[in-house]
Amino acid sequence: MINTFAQIDQYASAGHTAWHRASALSKLLFTLVTIGVAVFTPTWGPLVVFLAVAVLLALTARLPFKLVLLAATTPLFFAALWLVSRWNGRLDEIAVTALRPVVASVVALWLVGTTPYPDLFAPISRVLPRVVGDSLFLTYRAVFVLLQRLERLWRALFLRGALGGSLRRRGERMGEAVGTVVLHGFERSQRLYQVMHLRGHSGRICGCRHWRDLRAEDVWVVVAFAAVLASRILLREVGRP
Amino acid sequence: MSHLHIPDGVLPPLVWIAGLLLALIGVLVSAAFTRGVGPQRIAFQSALGGLMLAVMAIPVPITAFDYCMTLAGPVGILLGPASAFQVSFVVTVILALMGQGGFTVIGLNALVLGIGSMTAAPVYRLLASRMKRPQAVALATAFSQLLSSVLWIAVLALSVKLSPTTAADEEVHHTLRWLQGGALVALLAPLLLVAVAVESLLALGLATFLDRVRPDLLPGGASGAAVPPDESPESRP
Repeated sequence: MINTFAQIDQYASAGHTAWHRASALSKLLFTLVTIGVAVFTPTWGPLVVFLAVAVLLALTARLPFKLVLLAATTPLFFAALWLVSRWNGRLDEIAVTALRPVVASVVALWLVGTTPYPDLFAPISRVLPRVVGDSLFLTYRAVFVLLQRLERLWRALFLRGALGGSLRRRGERMGEAVGTVVLHGFERSQRLYQVMHLRGHSGRICGCRHWRDLRAEDVWVVVAFAAVLASRILLREVGRP
Repeated sequence: MSHLHIPDGVLPPLVWIAGLLLALIGVLVSAAFTRGVGPQRIAFQSALGGLMLAVMAIPVPITAFDYCMTLAGPVGILLGPASAFQVSFVVTVILALMGQGGFTVIGLNALVLGIGSMTAAPVYRLLASRMKRPQAVALATAFSQLLSSVLWIAVLALSVKLSPTTAADEEVHHTLRWLQGGALVALLAPLLLVAVAVESLLALGLATFLDRVRPDLLPGGASGAAVPPDESPESRP
């Protein structure tokens, strides 16, 4: 899970397509509106167009096809139980229930795959209380470091045979291992605070300020937005029983 | 069990909109409780949030199946209810960006994870005066995990009940009957018990280690402080 996200993070930071240059604000708004429209669309006709637009966005952002496929299929796996429980032999209803999460997932992939996390979190943190907004940035920073450490620790435990024995013993050993990472996290937070203090931290992490700077590339986001809205209006009867 | 993993567009809007609103209220209320905290405390709670995410990413081979921990209970005990809810919210937002659960269910996920985490601290305080602290952490974690799982099941049952019944009225009733029947007990109860046991054992190991190495980090420890002291400039005399 985290490795996939690290890969997406790399694409977001290193990509040079028009989507990468578009402002985070317009991409975030487009994503939220598209997901909102998709969730409330009752017919499969517009949803097929939404999916086509989402896949086109992701592929033109040079995100690997495998990643797009993974994003499209992961929600299907989680929705399978629901789909089975709703099965009544009507394929149109099943298609709507399956297409909605796929559209949302691929659009979300496009957003996080084209927007570096400081740009992505900056507008979100603006609407959240200070402590939560700051925590969003710092948690994201911490996760990769702590995961590396935890993975090394797990490997060491495995190689030294610590993952054998009774259930209780294994649980306790793993708990102790997690305890060392908790301590590391505590010490890391102290160092981080000292570093922030030395660098003149004002008490608020604001992220970068260019997340709302509109650029020429934002026109393409508007075009995608228009395609979604037009298909929702023009194809609203397609797929209606 | 304490994370929904349900994508966008599946649950009925009434459920996820209510979840979003309640979660936002929870965030605002918790922020009011933690208004004066300094950067060091924010860094510590972020480190624990990062740890929750890291731990969720690593499958633990405790049983024949791999299990993903949440650490919601221990994090709730170490941070206290208000910060625990904030951490749960932030973790859920980042999980949604990772494709683990949709954007629309952020609120429900935060509530399910957060309420479990929040209740761990008061339960721990209640138990810590009557038994050893690591055991109290384990039991409080079990309670927190159980509560999260019950909430998780309640959200699913409510969603099934409130789902649109355009042509599947009979199916919904059938599903409800299935949920209410023995299938629920047969399938979910063993999974629930394994999840609670695994999480509690890990919490026991974690608390035993902390109690031995850094007892001041556990509430009621050597210094009696549950959280690192706030050393921000504004808190200095």
